[in-house]
Amino acid sequence: MSDKLSFEFLTRLNEKYKIFSQLINEEEFLKAEGRYHFHFSAKDNLCTIDFQSRAGSRILDGYTPPFDATAVRRLRISGGLLIGKTNMDEFGFGTFCTNSAYGVPRNPFDPDRSCGGSSGGAAATVALLDGHIALAVSTGGSISCPASFCGVIGITPTYGRVSRYGLIDYSNSLDKIGLICRSATDLRTYLPLISGPDSLDPTSCSQPILDLSSSRIKRIGIPKEAMEGISGEVEAAFRKAIEITEEQLSIKVEEVSMSSLRFALPAYYVLATSEASTNLARYCGMRFGIVKDDVNAHFNTFFSEVRSKFFGKEAKRRILLGTYCRRIGFRDRYYLKALSVRQIVKEEYLRIFQDFDLVVMPTMPFIAPRFSDIQKMKPLDMYKADFLTVPPNLVGMPHISLPCGYYHGIPIGFQLVAPHWEERRLLHFAECWESVFEYQFPEVKL
Amino acid sequence: MDKQEVNEIARIARLALSDEEIEEFSSDLEDILSYFSVMDEAPTRDDFMLNPVMIENVMRDDEQYQVIDPEILRQSMKVFEGYVRGPRLS
Repeated sequence: MSDKLSFEFLTRLNEKYKIFSQLINEEEFLKAEGRYHFHFSAKDNLCTIDFQSRAGSRILDGYTPPFDATAVRRLRISGGLLIGKTNMDEFGFGTFCTNSAYGVPRNPFDPDRSCGGSSGGAAATVALLDGHIALAVSTGGSISCPASFCGVIGITPTYGRVSRYGLIDYSNSLDKIGLICRSATDLRTYLPLISGPDSLDPTSCSQPILDLSSSRIKRIGIPKEAMEGISGEVEAAFRKAIEITEEQLSIKVEEVSMSSLRFALPAYYVLATSEASTNLARYCGMRFGIVKDDVNAHFNTFFSEVRSKFFGKEAKRRILLGTYCRRIGFRDRYYLKALSVRQIVKEEYLRIFQDFDLVVMPTMPFIAPRFSDIQKMKPLDMYKADFLTVPPNLVGMPHISLPCGYYHGIPIGFQLVAPHWEERRLLHFAECWESVFEYQFPEVKL
Repeated sequence: MDKQEVNEIARIARLALSDEEIEEFSSDLEDILSYFSVMDEAPTRDDFMLNPVMIENVMRDDEQYQVIDPEILRQSMKVFEGYVRGPRLS
Protein backbone atom coordinates (compact mmCIF):
# COMPACT_ATOMS: atom_id res chain seq x y z
CA MET A 1 0.00 0.00 0.00
CA SER A 2 2.82 2.39 0.87
CA ASP A 3 4.12 2.48 -2.73
CA LYS A 4 0.76 3.77 -4.01
CA LEU A 5 0.81 6.93 -1.94
CA SER A 6 3.13 9.83 -2.70
CA PHE A 7 3.64 12.99 -0.71
CA GLU A 8 3.02 15.10 -3.79
CA PHE A 9 -0.29 13.34 -4.41
CA LEU A 10 -1.38 13.92 -0.81
CA THR A 11 -0.43 17.58 -0.98
CA ARG A 12 -2.33 18.15 -4.20
CA LEU A 13 -5.31 16.24 -2.88
CA ASN A 14 -5.40 18.46 0.16
CA GLU A 15 -5.05 21.63 -1.88
CA LYS A 16 -8.11 20.67 -3.88
CA TYR A 17 -10.35 19.14 -1.20
CA LYS A 18 -9.14 20.76 2.11
CA ILE A 19 -9.50 17.43 3.88
CA PHE A 20 -6.62 17.83 6.32
CA SER A 21 -6.10 20.59 8.83
CA GLN A 22 -2.51 19.40 9.05
CA LEU A 23 -0.72 16.97 6.76
CA ILE A 24 2.35 14.90 7.62
CA ASN A 25 5.53 16.73 6.65
CA GLU A 26 7.54 15.49 3.71
CA GLU A 27 10.56 14.41 5.73
CA GLU A 28 8.48 12.22 8.06
CA PHE A 29 6.54 10.79 5.15
CA LEU A 30 9.67 9.83 3.22
CA LYS A 31 11.25 8.38 6.35
CA ALA A 32 8.21 6.11 6.84
CA GLU A 33 7.91 5.01 3.21
CA GLY A 34 7.79 1.24 2.91
CA ARG A 35 7.85 0.84 6.69
CA TYR A 36 4.14 0.90 7.53
CA HIS A 37 1.30 -1.57 7.02
CA PHE A 38 -1.50 0.93 6.43
CA HIS A 39 -2.11 4.68 6.42
CA PHE A 40 -4.64 6.34 8.65
CA SER A 41 -5.80 9.80 9.71
CA ALA A 42 -7.15 11.14 12.96
CA LYS A 43 -9.87 13.72 13.35
CA ASP A 44 -8.37 16.97 14.59
CA ASN A 45 -9.97 16.60 18.05
CA LEU A 46 -7.82 13.54 18.80
CA CYS A 47 -4.56 14.32 20.56
CA THR A 48 -1.39 13.51 18.66
CA ILE A 49 2.15 14.02 19.80
CA ASP A 50 3.53 14.99 16.39
CA PHE A 51 0.68 17.09 14.97
CA GLN A 52 -1.25 20.04 16.29
CA SER A 53 -4.62 19.09 17.79
CA ARG A 54 -6.90 22.05 17.30
CA ALA A 55 -10.37 20.52 17.00
CA GLY A 56 -11.09 22.93 14.15
CA SER A 57 -10.81 25.89 16.52
CA ARG A 58 -8.64 29.01 16.44
CA ILE A 59 -8.52 28.95 20.24
CA LEU A 60 -6.36 25.81 20.08
CA ASP A 61 -3.99 27.18 17.45
CA GLY A 62 -0.45 26.06 18.28
CA TYR A 63 -1.51 23.26 20.64
CA THR A 64 0.57 20.11 20.20
CA PRO A 65 -0.24 17.68 23.00
CA PRO A 66 2.52 15.82 24.84
CA PHE A 67 0.74 12.48 24.29
CA ASP A 68 -1.24 10.42 21.78
CA ALA A 69 -4.92 9.57 22.20
CA THR A 70 -5.27 5.86 22.98
CA ALA A 71 -6.98 5.10 19.65
CA VAL A 72 -4.16 6.82 17.76
CA ARG A 73 -1.52 5.03 19.80
CA ARG A 74 -3.17 1.66 19.19
CA LEU A 75 -3.22 2.15 15.41
CA ARG A 76 0.40 3.31 15.39
CA ILE A 77 1.63 0.27 17.30
CA SER A 78 -0.33 -1.92 14.89
CA GLY A 79 1.78 -0.59 12.02
CA GLY A 80 -0.25 2.42 10.94
CA LEU A 81 1.23 5.63 9.58
CA LEU A 82 -0.64 8.74 10.66
CA ILE A 83 -0.67 10.90 7.52
CA GLY A 84 -2.68 13.83 8.83
CA LYS A 85 -5.29 15.39 11.05
CA THR A 86 -8.64 15.67 9.34
CA ASN A 87 -10.67 18.81 9.10
CA MET A 88 -13.79 19.12 11.23
CA ASP A 89 -16.41 21.54 12.53
CA GLU A 90 -15.07 23.46 15.51
CA PHE A 91 -15.18 21.08 18.52
CA GLY A 92 -17.66 18.94 16.53
CA PHE A 93 -20.28 21.70 16.37
CA GLY A 94 -21.86 21.25 12.98
CA THR A 95 -23.61 19.07 10.43
CA PHE A 96 -21.91 20.28 7.25
CA CYS A 97 -18.23 20.79 8.19
CA THR A 98 -18.56 24.48 7.40
CA ASN A 99 -17.56 25.62 10.91
CA SER A 100 -13.82 24.93 10.81
CA ALA A 101 -11.20 27.62 11.28
CA TYR A 102 -8.93 25.67 8.93
CA GLY A 103 -10.91 25.57 5.71
CA VAL A 104 -14.04 23.84 4.48
CA PRO A 105 -13.53 20.33 3.05
CA ARG A 106 -15.11 19.61 -0.33
CA ASN A 107 -17.26 16.64 -1.16
CA PRO A 108 -15.30 14.25 -3.42
CA PHE A 109 -18.42 13.56 -5.51
CA ASP A 110 -19.14 17.26 -6.11
CA PRO A 111 -16.85 19.99 -4.72
CA ASP A 112 -19.78 22.42 -4.54
CA ARG A 113 -21.41 20.21 -1.93
CA SER A 114 -20.74 19.58 1.77
CA CYS A 115 -18.86 16.53 3.06
CA GLY A 116 -21.15 16.46 6.06
CA GLY A 117 -20.04 17.04 9.61
CA SER A 118 -18.50 17.08 11.86
CA SER A 119 -15.99 14.41 10.69
CA GLY A 120 -16.17 15.76 7.13
CA GLY A 121 -12.45 15.65 6.40
CA ALA A 122 -12.28 12.05 7.62
CA ALA A 123 -15.09 10.80 5.36
CA ALA A 124 -13.82 12.70 2.32
CA THR A 125 -10.31 11.32 2.82
CA VAL A 126 -11.63 7.75 2.80
CA ALA A 127 -13.68 8.44 -0.34
CA LEU A 128 -10.56 9.80 -2.06
CA LEU A 129 -7.87 7.39 -0.82
CA ASP A 130 -8.22 3.67 -1.39
CA GLY A 131 -7.19 1.62 1.65
CA HIS A 132 -7.31 4.57 4.02
CA ILE A 133 -8.65 4.25 7.56
CA ALA A 134 -9.98 7.34 9.33
CA LEU A 135 -10.39 7.71 13.07
CA ALA A 136 -13.52 9.79 13.54
CA VAL A 137 -15.66 10.92 16.46
CA SER A 138 -19.42 11.08 16.86
CA THR A 139 -21.43 12.95 19.46
CA GLY A 140 -24.78 13.23 17.66
CA GLY A 141 -24.09 11.84 14.19
CA SER A 142 -20.67 13.13 13.23
CA ILE A 143 -19.61 9.77 11.80
CA SER A 144 -22.83 8.65 10.11
CA CYS A 145 -23.63 11.98 8.45
CA PRO A 146 -20.33 12.52 6.62
CA ALA A 147 -20.07 8.81 5.78
CA SER A 148 -23.48 9.08 4.12
CA PHE A 149 -22.67 12.30 2.22
CA CYS A 150 -19.29 10.96 1.03
CA GLY A 151 -20.46 7.44 0.11
CA VAL A 152 -18.34 5.49 2.60
CA ILE A 153 -18.86 3.32 5.68
CA GLY A 154 -18.98 4.93 9.12
CA ILE A 155 -19.27 2.89 12.31
CA THR A 156 -20.01 4.46 15.66
CA PRO A 157 -19.40 1.80 18.31
CA THR A 158 -21.23 1.50 21.61
CA TYR A 159 -20.53 4.32 24.07
CA GLY A 160 -17.45 3.18 26.01
CA ARG A 161 -16.26 0.59 23.44
CA VAL A 162 -13.28 2.72 22.35
CA SER A 163 -11.23 4.61 24.91
CA ARG A 164 -11.66 8.36 24.72
CA TYR A 165 -8.39 9.12 26.43
CA GLY A 166 -6.89 11.96 24.41
CA LEU A 167 -10.17 13.08 22.86
CA ILE A 168 -10.84 16.81 23.12
CA ASP A 169 -14.29 16.56 24.70
CA TYR A 170 -17.45 17.98 23.25
CA SER A 171 -19.99 16.16 25.42
CA ASN A 172 -18.76 13.48 27.81
CA SER A 173 -21.93 11.42 28.02
CA LEU A 174 -22.26 11.31 24.22
CA ASP A 175 -18.77 11.29 22.65
CA LYS A 176 -17.67 8.09 20.88
CA ILE A 177 -14.65 7.32 18.73
CA GLY A 178 -15.26 5.21 15.63
CA LEU A 179 -14.00 4.43 12.17
CA ILE A 180 -14.68 5.52 8.63
CA CYS A 181 -13.51 3.13 5.92
CA ARG A 182 -14.49 1.62 2.56
CA SER A 183 -15.34 -2.00 3.35
CA ALA A 184 -16.61 -4.41 5.96
CA THR A 185 -13.25 -6.20 5.70
CA ASP A 186 -11.57 -3.01 6.94
CA LEU A 187 -14.02 -2.85 9.83
CA ARG A 188 -13.29 -6.43 10.80
CA THR A 189 -9.57 -5.67 10.73
CA TYR A 190 -9.39 -2.28 12.41
CA LEU A 191 -12.29 -2.08 14.87
CA PRO A 192 -10.72 -4.68 17.23
CA LEU A 193 -7.45 -2.72 17.17
CA ILE A 194 -8.98 0.40 18.71
CA SER A 195 -11.55 -1.31 20.99
CA GLY A 196 -11.12 -2.63 24.50
CA PRO A 197 -10.61 -1.39 28.03
CA ASP A 198 -8.12 1.36 28.80
CA SER A 199 -7.38 2.28 32.40
CA LEU A 200 -6.98 5.91 31.31
CA ASP A 201 -10.69 6.09 30.40
CA PRO A 202 -12.95 4.50 33.05
CA THR A 203 -15.95 4.55 30.70
CA SER A 204 -14.15 1.97 28.55
CA CYS A 205 -13.58 -0.44 31.43
CA SER A 206 -17.10 -1.85 31.85
CA GLN A 207 -17.36 -3.31 28.35
CA PRO A 208 -17.81 -6.95 27.39
CA ILE A 209 -15.24 -8.34 24.95
CA LEU A 210 -15.78 -7.28 21.33
CA ASP A 211 -17.18 -10.38 19.66
CA LEU A 212 -17.30 -10.16 15.86
CA SER A 213 -18.40 -13.73 15.24
CA SER A 214 -21.21 -14.17 12.75
CA SER A 215 -24.68 -13.12 13.81
CA ARG A 216 -27.77 -14.09 11.86
CA ILE A 217 -30.01 -11.15 10.95
CA LYS A 218 -33.63 -12.22 10.46
CA ARG A 219 -35.76 -9.16 11.11
CA ILE A 220 -35.16 -5.44 10.84
CA GLY A 221 -37.52 -2.69 11.99
CA ILE A 222 -38.09 0.72 10.35
CA PRO A 223 -39.49 3.34 12.73
CA LYS A 224 -42.31 4.92 10.74
CA GLU A 225 -41.73 8.27 12.51
CA ALA A 226 -38.23 8.39 11.01
CA MET A 227 -39.65 8.57 7.50
CA GLU A 228 -41.40 11.90 8.03
CA GLY A 229 -39.59 14.79 6.35
CA ILE A 230 -37.33 12.67 4.14
CA SER A 231 -36.59 14.05 0.66
CA GLY A 232 -37.97 12.19 -2.35
CA GLU A 233 -34.60 11.07 -3.67
CA VAL A 234 -33.48 9.71 -0.29
CA GLU A 235 -36.77 7.92 0.29
CA ALA A 236 -36.65 6.32 -3.17
CA ALA A 237 -33.07 5.05 -2.64
CA PHE A 238 -33.91 3.84 0.86
CA ARG A 239 -37.04 1.94 -0.26
CA LYS A 240 -35.04 0.32 -3.05
CA ALA A 241 -32.35 -0.73 -0.55
CA ILE A 242 -35.02 -2.27 1.69
CA GLU A 243 -36.39 -4.16 -1.31
CA ILE A 244 -32.90 -5.58 -2.02
CA THR A 245 -32.49 -6.48 1.65
CA GLU A 246 -35.76 -8.43 1.64
CA GLU A 247 -35.41 -10.07 -1.75
CA GLN A 248 -31.71 -10.81 -2.01
CA LEU A 249 -30.70 -11.15 1.63
CA SER A 250 -33.97 -12.80 2.74
CA ILE A 251 -34.26 -10.49 5.73
CA LYS A 252 -37.74 -9.47 6.85
CA VAL A 253 -38.15 -5.68 7.15
CA GLU A 254 -41.21 -4.34 8.96
CA GLU A 255 -42.46 -0.97 10.05
CA VAL A 256 -42.47 -0.27 13.78
CA SER A 257 -43.59 2.67 15.87
CA MET A 258 -41.14 4.71 17.91
CA SER A 259 -43.09 7.65 19.25
CA SER A 260 -40.27 8.92 21.48
CA LEU A 261 -38.17 9.87 18.45
CA ARG A 262 -39.67 13.36 18.38
CA PHE A 263 -38.18 14.08 21.80
CA ALA A 264 -34.70 12.82 20.96
CA LEU A 265 -33.39 15.84 19.04
CA PRO A 266 -34.13 18.52 21.67
CA ALA A 267 -32.94 16.18 24.45
CA TYR A 268 -29.70 15.64 22.58
CA TYR A 269 -29.08 19.36 22.07
CA VAL A 270 -29.81 20.12 25.72
CA LEU A 271 -27.38 17.46 26.98
CA ALA A 272 -24.72 18.16 24.37
CA THR A 273 -24.66 21.93 24.80
CA SER A 274 -24.90 21.72 28.60
CA GLU A 275 -21.87 19.45 28.72
CA ALA A 276 -20.04 21.43 26.01
CA SER A 277 -20.51 24.70 27.85
CA THR A 278 -18.65 23.29 30.86
CA ASN A 279 -16.01 21.46 28.79
CA LEU A 280 -15.13 24.61 26.89
CA ALA A 281 -14.62 26.60 30.09
CA ARG A 282 -11.01 25.37 30.12
CA TYR A 283 -10.18 27.41 27.01
CA CYS A 284 -9.45 30.75 28.59
CA GLY A 285 -6.03 31.84 27.38
CA MET A 286 -3.98 30.18 30.11
CA ARG A 287 -3.42 26.67 28.74
CA PHE A 288 -3.85 24.84 25.43
CA GLY A 289 -3.20 26.81 22.25
CA ILE A 290 -3.71 30.54 22.51
CA VAL A 291 -1.97 31.81 25.66
CA LYS A 292 -2.43 35.46 26.51
CA ASP A 293 0.45 37.62 27.73
CA ASP A 294 -1.37 40.24 29.74
CA VAL A 295 -1.49 38.59 33.17
CA ASN A 296 -2.00 41.99 34.81
CA ALA A 297 -5.57 42.08 33.48
CA HIS A 298 -8.52 41.17 35.72
CA PHE A 299 -9.52 37.52 35.16
CA ASN A 300 -12.94 38.44 33.78
CA THR A 301 -11.41 40.62 31.09
CA PHE A 302 -8.57 38.18 30.46
CA PHE A 303 -10.84 35.15 29.97
CA SER A 304 -13.60 36.99 28.08
CA GLU A 305 -11.25 38.64 25.61
CA VAL A 306 -9.57 35.47 24.46
CA ARG A 307 -12.80 33.43 24.35
CA SER A 308 -14.68 36.12 22.42
CA LYS A 309 -11.89 36.58 19.92
CA PHE A 310 -10.99 32.97 19.21
CA PHE A 311 -14.22 30.93 19.53
CA GLY A 312 -16.24 30.72 16.30
CA LYS A 313 -19.89 31.72 16.04
CA GLU A 314 -21.38 28.24 16.44
CA ALA A 315 -19.18 27.54 19.49
CA LYS A 316 -20.46 30.76 21.09
CA ARG A 317 -24.05 29.85 20.24
CA ARG A 318 -23.75 26.42 21.85
CA ILE A 319 -21.95 27.78 24.92
CA LEU A 320 -24.78 30.27 25.41
CA LEU A 321 -27.45 27.62 24.92
CA GLY A 322 -25.79 25.16 27.31
CA THR A 323 -25.16 27.82 29.93
CA TYR A 324 -28.81 28.86 29.74
CA CYS A 325 -30.06 25.27 30.13
CA ARG A 326 -27.91 24.75 33.25
CA ARG A 327 -29.07 27.90 35.06
CA ILE A 328 -30.77 27.65 38.43
CA GLY A 329 -34.48 27.29 37.80
CA PHE A 330 -34.04 25.78 34.32
CA ARG A 331 -32.14 22.61 35.22
CA ASP A 332 -35.27 20.52 35.81
CA ARG A 333 -37.00 21.76 32.68
CA TYR A 334 -34.06 21.13 30.38
CA TYR A 335 -31.17 19.01 31.66
CA LEU A 336 -33.06 16.58 33.90
CA LYS A 337 -35.90 16.33 31.38
CA ALA A 338 -33.38 15.49 28.67
CA LEU A 339 -31.98 12.69 30.85
CA SER A 340 -35.54 11.37 31.25
CA VAL A 341 -35.98 11.43 27.48
CA ARG A 342 -32.74 9.51 27.01
CA GLN A 343 -34.13 6.77 29.28
CA ILE A 344 -37.46 6.71 27.39
CA VAL A 345 -35.79 6.48 23.97
CA LYS A 346 -33.47 3.74 25.23
CA GLU A 347 -36.39 1.69 26.53
CA GLU A 348 -38.21 2.09 23.24
CA TYR A 349 -35.19 0.79 21.32
CA LEU A 350 -34.90 -2.14 23.75
CA ARG A 351 -38.59 -2.96 23.27
CA ILE A 352 -38.07 -3.07 19.50
CA PHE A 353 -34.95 -5.22 19.88
CA GLN A 354 -37.05 -7.89 21.60
CA ASP A 355 -38.51 -8.67 18.16
CA PHE A 356 -35.98 -7.23 15.72
CA ASP A 357 -32.24 -7.69 15.27
CA LEU A 358 -31.59 -4.19 13.92
CA VAL A 359 -33.35 -0.87 13.38
CA VAL A 360 -32.87 0.87 10.04
CA MET A 361 -33.59 4.33 8.68
CA PRO A 362 -32.04 6.68 6.14
CA THR A 363 -28.89 8.29 7.56
CA MET A 364 -29.69 11.84 6.49
CA PRO A 365 -33.01 13.32 5.32
CA PHE A 366 -31.43 14.75 2.14
CA ILE A 367 -28.37 14.30 -0.08
CA ALA A 368 -25.24 16.38 0.57
CA PRO A 369 -26.42 19.98 0.18
CA ARG A 370 -24.66 22.66 -1.87
CA PHE A 371 -22.74 25.29 0.10
CA SER A 372 -24.98 27.96 -1.41
CA ASP A 373 -28.03 26.24 0.13
CA ILE A 374 -26.34 25.76 3.51
CA GLN A 375 -25.73 29.52 3.72
CA LYS A 376 -29.49 30.09 3.63
CA MET A 377 -30.19 27.72 6.54
CA LYS A 378 -30.92 29.00 10.04
CA PRO A 379 -29.18 27.33 13.01
CA LEU A 380 -32.37 25.49 14.01
CA ASP A 381 -32.77 24.13 10.47
CA MET A 382 -29.24 22.76 10.68
CA TYR A 383 -29.90 21.15 14.07
CA LYS A 384 -33.06 19.54 12.71
CA ALA A 385 -31.06 17.89 9.92
CA ASP A 386 -29.62 15.59 12.62
CA PHE A 387 -32.96 14.05 13.57
CA LEU A 388 -32.08 10.60 12.21
CA THR A 389 -28.51 10.34 13.49
CA VAL A 390 -29.22 11.69 16.98
CA PRO A 391 -31.40 8.89 18.47
CA PRO A 392 -28.78 6.07 18.53
CA ASN A 393 -26.13 8.56 19.65
CA LEU A 394 -28.32 9.80 22.48
CA VAL A 395 -28.64 6.28 23.90
CA GLY A 396 -25.08 5.16 23.08
CA MET A 397 -26.12 2.29 20.82
CA PRO A 398 -23.75 1.16 18.06
CA HIS A 399 -24.73 2.13 14.54
CA ILE A 400 -23.36 2.09 11.04
CA SER A 401 -23.99 4.13 7.92
CA LEU A 402 -23.61 2.26 4.64
CA PRO A 403 -23.95 3.60 1.09
CA CYS A 404 -27.34 2.43 -0.23
CA GLY A 405 -27.94 4.38 -3.43
CA TYR A 406 -26.92 7.28 -5.68
CA TYR A 407 -28.93 10.21 -6.97
CA HIS A 408 -27.32 11.62 -10.13
CA GLY A 409 -24.02 10.29 -8.82
CA ILE A 410 -24.40 11.76 -5.31
CA PRO A 411 -24.31 9.09 -2.58
CA ILE A 412 -27.15 8.27 -0.20
CA GLY A 413 -26.70 6.25 2.99
CA PHE A 414 -28.81 4.20 5.34
CA GLN A 415 -28.13 3.73 9.03
CA LEU A 416 -28.54 0.54 11.05
CA VAL A 417 -28.69 0.48 14.83
CA ALA A 418 -27.95 -2.50 17.11
CA PRO A 419 -28.33 -3.05 20.86
CA HIS A 420 -25.46 -2.00 23.14
CA TRP A 421 -22.23 -3.99 22.54
CA GLU A 422 -23.69 -5.84 19.49
CA GLU A 423 -21.34 -4.37 16.88
CA ARG A 424 -21.14 -7.84 15.32
CA ARG A 425 -24.70 -7.53 14.00
CA LEU A 426 -23.72 -4.34 12.17
CA LEU A 427 -20.60 -5.92 10.76
CA HIS A 428 -22.49 -9.01 9.65
CA PHE A 429 -25.11 -6.90 7.89
CA ALA A 430 -22.39 -4.77 6.25
CA GLU A 431 -20.76 -7.92 4.88
CA CYS A 432 -24.07 -9.22 3.54
CA TRP A 433 -24.92 -5.81 2.06
CA GLU A 434 -21.63 -5.64 0.17
CA SER A 435 -22.44 -8.94 -1.50
CA VAL A 436 -25.55 -7.47 -3.14
CA PHE A 437 -24.74 -3.76 -3.53
CA GLU A 438 -21.70 -2.27 -5.25
CA TYR A 439 -20.22 0.90 -3.76
CA GLN A 440 -19.06 3.67 -6.08
CA PHE A 441 -16.08 5.88 -5.42
CA PRO A 442 -15.28 9.20 -7.09
CA GLU A 443 -12.73 9.52 -9.82
CA VAL A 444 -9.88 11.61 -8.42
CA LYS A 445 -8.74 14.27 -10.89
CA LEU A 446 -6.03 16.65 -9.68
CA MET B 1 -34.77 35.17 24.62
CA ASP B 2 -34.38 38.94 24.97
CA LYS B 3 -31.09 40.74 24.48
CA GLN B 4 -30.63 41.48 28.18
CA GLU B 5 -30.88 37.78 28.96
CA VAL B 6 -28.36 36.90 26.23
CA ASN B 7 -26.01 39.49 27.70
CA GLU B 8 -26.39 38.01 31.16
CA ILE B 9 -25.74 34.45 29.93
CA ALA B 10 -22.74 35.67 27.95
CA ARG B 11 -21.33 37.31 31.09
CA ILE B 12 -21.65 34.03 33.01
CA ALA B 13 -19.99 32.16 30.12
CA ARG B 14 -17.16 34.73 29.91
CA LEU B 15 -18.04 35.89 26.41
CA ALA B 16 -17.94 39.56 25.46
CA LEU B 17 -20.39 39.82 22.59
CA SER B 18 -20.84 42.65 20.11
CA ASP B 19 -24.28 44.26 19.69
CA GLU B 20 -24.67 42.42 16.36
CA GLU B 21 -23.87 39.08 17.98
CA ILE B 22 -26.33 39.71 20.81
CA GLU B 23 -29.04 40.55 18.31
CA GLU B 24 -28.34 37.44 16.22
CA PHE B 25 -28.04 35.02 19.16
CA SER B 26 -31.18 36.42 20.76
CA SER B 27 -33.20 35.48 17.70
CA ASP B 28 -31.47 32.08 17.21
CA LEU B 29 -31.87 31.04 20.84
CA GLU B 30 -35.50 32.08 20.87
CA ASP B 31 -36.14 29.75 17.91
CA ILE B 32 -34.18 26.88 19.43
CA LEU B 33 -35.69 27.12 22.92
CA SER B 34 -39.15 27.34 21.43
CA TYR B 35 -38.44 24.10 19.57
CA PHE B 36 -37.15 22.47 22.79
CA SER B 37 -40.58 23.01 24.40
CA VAL B 38 -41.76 19.78 22.71
CA MET B 39 -39.95 18.02 25.57
CA ASP B 40 -42.59 19.38 27.95
CA GLU B 41 -44.89 16.68 26.52
CA ALA B 42 -42.46 13.87 27.44
CA PRO B 43 -43.01 12.07 30.73
CA THR B 44 -40.61 12.92 33.54
CA ARG B 45 -38.69 10.00 35.00
CA ASP B 46 -36.51 9.66 38.03
CA ASP B 47 -34.80 6.39 37.08
CA PHE B 48 -32.46 7.79 34.45
CA MET B 49 -28.70 7.36 34.36
CA LEU B 50 -26.10 10.03 33.69
CA ASN B 51 -24.46 7.88 31.01
CA PRO B 52 -26.16 5.88 28.26
CA VAL B 53 -24.65 2.60 29.51
CA MET B 54 -23.86 1.37 32.99
CA ILE B 55 -20.43 2.61 34.03
CA GLU B 56 -18.79 0.95 37.02
CA ASN B 57 -16.17 2.60 39.16
CA VAL B 58 -12.71 1.36 38.32
CA MET B 59 -10.26 1.08 41.19
CA ARG B 60 -6.51 0.98 40.79
CA ASP B 61 -3.73 0.09 43.13
CA ASP B 62 -2.94 2.93 45.50
CA GLU B 63 0.49 3.55 44.08
CA GLN B 64 2.05 6.76 42.89
CA TYR B 65 2.57 7.08 39.18
CA GLN B 66 2.89 9.84 36.64
CA VAL B 67 1.44 9.79 33.13
CA ILE B 68 2.83 13.14 31.99
CA ASP B 69 5.65 15.12 33.57
CA PRO B 70 4.16 18.42 34.87
CA GLU B 71 7.24 20.20 33.55
CA ILE B 72 6.11 19.32 30.02
CA LEU B 73 2.66 20.76 30.73
CA ARG B 74 4.19 23.97 32.13
CA GLN B 75 6.01 24.54 28.86
CA SER B 76 2.75 25.61 27.23
CA MET B 77 1.82 28.05 30.03
CA LYS B 78 3.17 31.32 31.42
CA VAL B 79 5.38 30.41 34.35
CA PHE B 80 7.47 32.32 36.85
CA GLU B 81 9.92 30.52 39.14
CA GLY B 82 8.07 27.25 38.66
CA TYR B 83 4.61 28.73 39.32
CA VAL B 84 1.90 29.07 36.66
CA ARG B 85 1.00 32.72 36.09
CA GLY B 86 -2.64 33.69 35.67
CA PRO B 87 -4.64 36.93 35.58
CA ARG B 88 -5.50 39.05 38.63
CA LEU B 89 -8.39 37.93 40.82
CA SER B 90 -9.22 41.44 42.04
